[in-house]
Amino acid sequence: MLRTIKPKGWVVALYLLVPVALFVFTVFMPLITALVYSFFEWKGGPNKTFIGLENYVTLIHDATFWESFWHNIYLVIVCIIGQIGIAFVLVLLINSKYVKLKGIHRTFGFFPSTIAAVCIGLIWNMIYHYQYGIINWFLKLIGRPDLCKVWLNEPDLVMLLVSIPLIWQYIGYYMVIIMSAIASIDTEIFESAEIDGANGIQRAFYIVLPLIKNTMIVCLTLCIAGNMKAFDNIYVMTAGGPGTSSMVMAMYGYQISFNQSNMGYGSCISVGIFVLSLLVIGGSQKLLNTLTKEKD
Amino acid sequence: MKKKVISILLSTAMIATVLGGCGSSSETTDAPAADTAAPAETTAAAETTDGDTAGDASALAYAGELEIMHYSTSEESQGNGGSDGFRTVLADWDAAHPDITLTQNILANAEYKTQIATLAAADDLPDVFLLQGMNTIEWAKQGLVLDLTDTIKSSPYYADYNTAYFTPFTTEDKIYGFPCLTGGTCTVVIYDKQMWKDAGYDTFPSTWEEVEAASEYFNGQGITTVAFGNGGKWQANSDFMSTLGNRYTGPEWFASLIAKDGASFEDPEFVAALAETQRLFTETSIFNPDYNAVTNEDAREYYIAGTAAAFIGGNWDESYIAATLQESDPDKWANIGFAVLPQPADATKAPTSQNIGLGYAVAINSKVAEDPDKLAAAIDLAEYITGPEFSTFVAEKYALGGLTKVADVDLSGFDQITQDFYNWSYVDTETCEIYDSYINSAVWDVFNTDLQDLMNGDKTPEEVAANAQAAYEANY
Repeated sequence: MLRTIKPKGWVVALYLLVPVALFVFTVFMPLITALVYSFFEWKGGPNKTFIGLENYVTLIHDATFWESFWHNIYLVIVCIIGQIGIAFVLVLLINSKYVKLKGIHRTFGFFPSTIAAVCIGLIWNMIYHYQYGIINWFLKLIGRPDLCKVWLNEPDLVMLLVSIPLIWQYIGYYMVIIMSAIASIDTEIFESAEIDGANGIQRAFYIVLPLIKNTMIVCLTLCIAGNMKAFDNIYVMTAGGPGTSSMVMAMYGYQISFNQSNMGYGSCISVGIFVLSLLVIGGSQKLLNTLTKEKD
Repeated sequence: MKKKVISILLSTAMIATVLGGCGSSSETTDAPAADTAAPAETTAAAETTDGDTAGDASALAYAGELEIMHYSTSEESQGNGGSDGFRTVLADWDAAHPDITLTQNILANAEYKTQIATLAAADDLPDVFLLQGMNTIEWAKQGLVLDLTDTIKSSPYYADYNTAYFTPFTTEDKIYGFPCLTGGTCTVVIYDKQMWKDAGYDTFPSTWEEVEAASEYFNGQGITTVAFGNGGKWQANSDFMSTLGNRYTGPEWFASLIAKDGASFEDPEFVAALAETQRLFTETSIFNPDYNAVTNEDAREYYIAGTAAAFIGGNWDESYIAATLQESDPDKWANIGFAVLPQPADATKAPTSQNIGLGYAVAINSKVAEDPDKLAAAIDLAEYITGPEFSTFVAEKYALGGLTKVADVDLSGFDQITQDFYNWSYVDTETCEIYDSYINSAVWDVFNTDLQDLMNGDKTPEEVAANAQAAYEANY
């Protein structure tokens, strides 16, 4: 009996072979090759010249790259508040006994996550459109045409405006994760809290949050990792413009590698993105761990 | 045992799928132009050709596969004469050479540019492909493209070639491609004659001052004077600066910039052109306010919808506007007029110039030379698809010009708008170079990004010029 349950070593190895091979081929190899290429001057084509750390020196002094990095950090902060924050509130609302048709709320909440990022970018392009967009249409309707703007051409606003579709898209995704975490909390706890007279907000902060702490940390990590590599929505909406006002790191790497055919420096940027993302994710996890430990 | 077999089968299938996914994604099309217009017409043309063209299959000893990568998709060929012609002659050649399997990899232009750059970087270019002018120097230096100088000079059509078109594909006196598709302008002002007549202008104004004055009238009517879209960042360069710059600097400046003969982006004439661009976009109300957020495809819709009195774009926009209006609004279509970019008050050069050229050339991977028979086939293909068959097709069907000159194009069979555009493009105007057919993408990418800031008023002309010059010195 036990023998049928526990497969032989080589069977396990065979099963593992496929995902490991996939991982090595799609993640590990490109990473290593990018690292190698980043030490070369390589403007496309077979000729590469070894230049040591020169690309990295350029990277450190590249104002556009650091501007893009801060845009990514901005995205991370806005999306943590927007995606996870709003998702948490929505889950509490849906779980409350006053809300009817919970299934429909769940489905529609999750729906945007299933749409391709490119389509989302196009949809929101139409919303922000100067002549045909719903925002300017509404402003004209309420008699405030002076507030109409070419939304995606406002350097100070554009990062916020490209974050909104990202938030909208992923609320449902985090809703599902948080909802499943809350579902695993014993209902007796809520019942006794209710008897003790705890209101909704108190229940959220003193019961739900501490009990789903680990899930929330997973959500935060996913959110940070996702936004450090943001690309597609923004590419469709502004291509990093106007100028470099909505440039993010991945797009800058793409622009250097493919628009400027500078593969060597492009690889260096990719390595930079990898290191910075690791630092941000690692740093935030450390921070979260120390914060939550203190409370314990 | 059964489980083992299944697990092995599944693993093999998965690995096969993964590896299969890495392979070439090219599509083999036996008759790519079957869905384009008028195939019967072209077959007839191919049959009547003599000796050295498509009908002459016996001259080629090569049998096997030949890859070509291009961007004339079937969608693009609807209404775009160059694409339609390209697909048609390619299909003719394919049909005339049954021993050669022509594998076509067809992508839309934007994807084409990315993929061909990636393939070049990997030293894995297809046998035959379209080379963009600005990549010529770098790719030639890397040995990626075959030197075709002798082939071109000994081509049976050499006498008919419009040799000026070879310039973007020539470096150090060597030519690396047969310029292909149609020679179209990149900067044309398309205007609605009736709307401008109502505003008090019989033709489109020849100076920006007059356009500025007219914009007061149009703005009062709630109409945009001139629609323009720079959302893709390249439009302000290709469809505006390239011509406006020439009005300030004259052609010698750009020739010197290409040849690295001392011209600089920071030369006062060029900075003056940048300053004028900034003034036009930030200080006047000539253009649609969202010029930096919409693409040329969006902006031309403003013209088609009648919310803009004029539009600035390239020949690809002209063919779209004309085709759309002819179907949807024949009255507005009949009112289409063409004009050159107006002259700035402080510009002194070439007031009727417009930038025209062939942006791409059919080039051959230098590795093909290892197999002389294959090379002969590739050369035959390149010569044929850029030769008189193509030029005659686009001249007769669309009134467009290609690499070879077509004597006495009979325009009488065409509608007035097509005739007007032909005369405007090839007869009535002075020509100048398209900036981004030359130099290289690293310079233009920096310049295009800055240009968007310049047009928003967020960077000064001097800063833009300095950045472009720095990129030029570092990369060219």
